[in-house]
Amino acid sequence: MRRRITFVGALFLLIFAILFLQLNDLQIVKASSLSDAPGNYSAVIKAFSTPRGEILTANGQVMAMTVPSKSQYKYQRVYPHGSLYSDVTGYYSLIYGTSGLEYEYNQYLQGKIAVPSSLSQLFSKSYSTDSLVTTISSKLQQTAYQALGSLKGAVVALNPSTGAVLAMASNPTYNPAPLASPSGTTEQNAWKSYNANPQQPLLNRAISRAYPPGSTFKIVTTSAIFDHDPRLARVNFPPVSSIALPQTTHHLHNYAYEVCGGELPVLLAVSCDTGFAQIGLRLGASNLHAEAENFGFNQVPPIDLPGAAASTFPPVSFFSQNLPQLAFSAIGQGDDQATALQMALVGAGIANNGTIMAPHLLSRIISGQDSTILSYQPKVWKVATSPSTAQKVAQLMVGVVKSGTAAGIALPGIEIAAKTGTAQTTLTRHSNIVGQSDNWMVAFAPVGHPKIAIAVVVPKQAGLSANPTGAQYAGPIVKAMIAAALGVKP
Amino acid sequence: MATTEQVRIRTRGYERRRRELELLIVADIVTIFAWVLGFYGLHPNGHIDFLNPWLTIVVLVPLGAHVANRHLAADADAILLPLATLLNGLGYVMIGVLDPTQAHLQALWTLISVFAYVVCIFFVRNPDSLDRYRYLLAILGIGLLFSPMLPGIGENIGGERLWVHLGSLSFQPVEVSKLLLAIFLTSLLVEKRDLLARLRGGGLRRFGPIALTFGLALAIMAVEKDVGFALLIFVTFVLVMWIGTGNRIYLLFGAVTFVLGLVVGGAVLPQVHQRISVWLDPWKHAATTGYQLIQAQYAFGIGGLSGTGLGLSHPTVPVATSDFIFAAFGQELGLLGTSAIIISFLLLIGAGLRVALRAHGEFSSLLAMTMTIILALQTFFILAGVIRVLPLTGMTLPFLAYGGSSLLTNYILLAILMRISHRSNQFNDLREGTTG
Repeated sequence: MRRRITFVGALFLLIFAILFLQLNDLQIVKASSLSDAPGNYSAVIKAFSTPRGEILTANGQVMAMTVPSKSQYKYQRVYPHGSLYSDVTGYYSLIYGTSGLEYEYNQYLQGKIAVPSSLSQLFSKSYSTDSLVTTISSKLQQTAYQALGSLKGAVVALNPSTGAVLAMASNPTYNPAPLASPSGTTEQNAWKSYNANPQQPLLNRAISRAYPPGSTFKIVTTSAIFDHDPRLARVNFPPVSSIALPQTTHHLHNYAYEVCGGELPVLLAVSCDTGFAQIGLRLGASNLHAEAENFGFNQVPPIDLPGAAASTFPPVSFFSQNLPQLAFSAIGQGDDQATALQMALVGAGIANNGTIMAPHLLSRIISGQDSTILSYQPKVWKVATSPSTAQKVAQLMVGVVKSGTAAGIALPGIEIAAKTGTAQTTLTRHSNIVGQSDNWMVAFAPVGHPKIAIAVVVPKQAGLSANPTGAQYAGPIVKAMIAAALGVKP
Repeated sequence: MATTEQVRIRTRGYERRRRELELLIVADIVTIFAWVLGFYGLHPNGHIDFLNPWLTIVVLVPLGAHVANRHLAADADAILLPLATLLNGLGYVMIGVLDPTQAHLQALWTLISVFAYVVCIFFVRNPDSLDRYRYLLAILGIGLLFSPMLPGIGENIGGERLWVHLGSLSFQPVEVSKLLLAIFLTSLLVEKRDLLARLRGGGLRRFGPIALTFGLALAIMAVEKDVGFALLIFVTFVLVMWIGTGNRIYLLFGAVTFVLGLVVGGAVLPQVHQRISVWLDPWKHAATTGYQLIQAQYAFGIGGLSGTGLGLSHPTVPVATSDFIFAAFGQELGLLGTSAIIISFLLLIGAGLRVALRAHGEFSSLLAMTMTIILALQTFFILAGVIRVLPLTGMTLPFLAYGGSSLLTNYILLAILMRISHRSNQFNDLREGTTG
């Protein structure tokens, strides 16, 4: 019996050795992957008990910061300007995670245990945080929301030569403060009410939601003319109010059955759908598709924010048996979809001699000791077209402001290039009269040495007038933004 | 013939009790130190109150058990009580970090359990008396086992009908019942030992006892839905049968019936199947049944080598004070802490094995072995479950985890081991004394 008792003892040693091995695996080998795993709430709670870096505008206004708190988490995230910057900063919630820059640059923002500089610090954990300086201009951001007012819509303003995002607005938006509350109930209630709101305040329309770009897409079609078939620029299309489409008995009508025609400068200035539809059919699907992809369609723009959506232009094969769709795609309808960010990038590409710079919000990261530890270097995203094409398109867009649909945004002494867009989303049902449209404008200024490229979309919504247009709804916002950016009175 | 006075001098009781007191003081210092660390971890600027009544209970009560040992079991093993005190104290500190209210209750249960220990040491002067009253113990055990089924006092928690409520006190009678049934089966085995060992060839009688245990385990599983207890009692008794008889057929037969039980259990009880699938891939059930296990894995990962420090993290493992307390230790004390705990348990089991080896008389030896196996398997199964070596079986970590019934049972188990140890040491010392 003694032998068997000894044997059982050895057996126990063996099975406990297995436990010890597994513990080593969990606590040493897999330790870091387990503690960084998503859904590890202990790590999250720990993060909420340490200070967190500030997020600042380019001119030093605080968009997000932490303050000491009496709650169980020791620190609390506050957003001094309420909802003004929520589409940029995102939220920082214990329960619902993070979004926006809070998510993107978490590794810099989160507190790190400071390297002790004295003996006493060895025993007290002190944290150092890095601050994030963005490219956002507080003036332009405020202007964007003021100009939007109660309209549902999105505004994206870029610096065309660097890709820096100067303003990004999505209306209606939300206040990130209750989501950062130490009270779980406050957090849950805010989250519920934001999600129950049919206006979707948590949705960042500027980068995540694509709408039919309408006639603003004609910038791309015009660019395609010079890149693939420059003879089309000199073709004179006779004035008509509608054209017959190939392979079908359907017709394509101009906006409000207007009659238009002529050469390219006139076609773009008055945004002649019948003219551009014929241009699109003559360019062919592969040329138009190649041009759209050169401008960044069908790719997610490399912006440093989570949730950016790709804009879409249908594949070449889609048009081979369906030429009417090519006519619609050439005028930014049919299956074309674009985000405000994408259209701002199209404008910025034309403004910047055909080169689209990667859009970015990060300017630099500053350590706790006020030294810059990381500085953003502008990067090229796409070479959309040649400088000569870009200059020709820019001049044609100047014509849109001088004597075309965007005349309303003209500012004395400033050369502005722009293109309006009014996507009649009910077009396929031939009822393009009633006021249901997505209203756009893309612009940049001043031509030659542009400081701002901007895209505004005011999608269809209740409360718009009958027959709304991009000039009517997006125009005033564009004008206000350009005036604010260049420091002139609108 | 030695007089009573001479017996006292010849046995090494005084030496053993002095060693016990020294080790108890060490265990108490560790507990107080851990408590202070935990306190400052939770309240960095707080004012410490050393006259905390609950801490005082946890620290002083084992000294009461020591005094009882001096008078009633002076020759018993010196390291059993200090190890239990250390684990009990560390458990109290961790429960206090996680949930102060439960810690107060745990302190009260410590008081009750140590009192039960003293009562047990006092009344069970001779381990053989347990042999004599085995049927009484068996009836009591079965009665306790089925008490949660009684309407009015029984309660169903988490699909397992394990709890009895008397006023505000809740109690898991299974815990005590497993001890009583183990004593009964051990006693039965010793009586039929020769018969069982000698039996050759077929015959149903030979499989009688194992069939009885197996049937009991299955019945418990089916009625109370407590897989853990059924597994524990079954594996314990198969091992004890083999140790007692030396007949390997019992190991083989135990393995076969174990697989059979697993199949039957898996078919009858949905949670058996569920626990196995969660064990195989908890991430597939991350939001539901696998949540606990995944959070436990995270806790161990966060802890790493040296842990976050007591009171300095916020363990989010559900039921962290009871089933998953080891994960909380893994998080706050790291691998160093969990290793120390595993070593403490191994020492405790080793001490139990030593009692079994030295025990005077077959029943005492086998009973000590039964107690040690219960302690070892319980510890192993819950640890293996929490760190995902085996599926979870829902046992409690002896002495460390929150839970009055478990604490009480393990102190009674300790008292039985102490009693056996006292008898055998006294006997051995005397024999050495007379021969030497």
